[in-house]
Amino acid sequence: MYAKEMVKQSLPLIVFCGLGAIVAGSTLGVMTDLLEEIPGLIVVIPAIIAMRGNISTAFGSRLGSAYHLGIIDAENLWNEELKQNIIGSLILSFLVAIIIGILAYITSILPPINVYPNPVKLISIVLIAGVLSGIILTLMTIVIIYLVFKRGYDPDNITGPALATFGDIVTMLCIFGSAILVEVVL
Amino acid sequence: MIYSWKKIVKYGLPLLTFTILIEIFAGQILQGKQDALIKLPIFLISIPVINSVGGNIGSVLGARLASGLHVGYISLSMKDKEMHDNLFISLLIGFITYLILAIVIYFIAVFGNLVEDIALIEFIAIIVFTGALLISTVALVSIFTAFLSFKRGLDPDDIVAPVVTTVGDVMGIVFLFVILGLIGVGI
Repeated sequence: MYAKEMVKQSLPLIVFCGLGAIVAGSTLGVMTDLLEEIPGLIVVIPAIIAMRGNISTAFGSRLGSAYHLGIIDAENLWNEELKQNIIGSLILSFLVAIIIGILAYITSILPPINVYPNPVKLISIVLIAGVLSGIILTLMTIVIIYLVFKRGYDPDNITGPALATFGDIVTMLCIFGSAILVEVVL
Repeated sequence: MIYSWKKIVKYGLPLLTFTILIEIFAGQILQGKQDALIKLPIFLISIPVINSVGGNIGSVLGARLASGLHVGYISLSMKDKEMHDNLFISLLIGFITYLILAIVIYFIAVFGNLVEDIALIEFIAIIVFTGALLISTVALVSIFTAFLSFKRGLDPDDIVAPVVTTVGDVMGIVFLFVILGLIGVGI
């Protein structure tokens, strides 16, 4: 009954992640006014979510490997190895956010799209959303890793799905928040 | 010290930039259909869900193939029985998941007054058809990427997940609009 075991083990988790995505999707569903007011906003959404997912799962899985290598554990969590990982993830978020903003602007003004977003607004939204969600998810990963260590579980089995579920929601809320902020301030 | 922020940035940036390019392409497809999506927000809610399930199933399949190849109980053959079983189970899990989530999304949309002119059965059919196309594509990409990277001496664990989630994000959006076009919903 090998197949039955596989369905039993992965189905609940994948459905649970899907429910998390419904929360993220519903946030997008209530953003329709903002999407109309800010041309180009819808273009950056898949890219920011993908960037966040890639950077945080890599961060989580590196911490998992560091645990297996004996570099970090519950008593010795806040050390130089962890700090280098945090700085690396945040600098990556910053750089990639700028690239997303610029690419979204350039591809929008070219034919056949011919939409003219405000580049300052668009890049500001991506930058604030990207860096803010990066900081929140980095802190969340550290808390998850700490709890996992304390209980003696293997971080490799937990951080991936947990970050995938919460990551999309946090990122979507950060995009929503930064779009409102930029729309009000600029 | 094993980790340095410079290395993390240096090794992370090229793959991320490439991923972002493809995601911007997905975003431009959405921008092209923006007016229709704003009129039918139930599909705006569905897009992250379609992509998340596709990406997860592809990544899980990829991780299982990687373990099988590393340990040796899966061989590099398109006729491998173990690989066929994994493929079949992925399709089955995908089908069940899309069915459950379509029902949940529909009732959330009804609750939020976002449903216009779409029956539950019609909505389920759209999501499950899109999902079936996406899972089939993602599963094939996952198998292909896992086998190819393993053959070249690379670790499929590092490669399959980012490739599969990126391809899944674009294809999920493309398939949704193809199915909507075929069924004739106003998009």
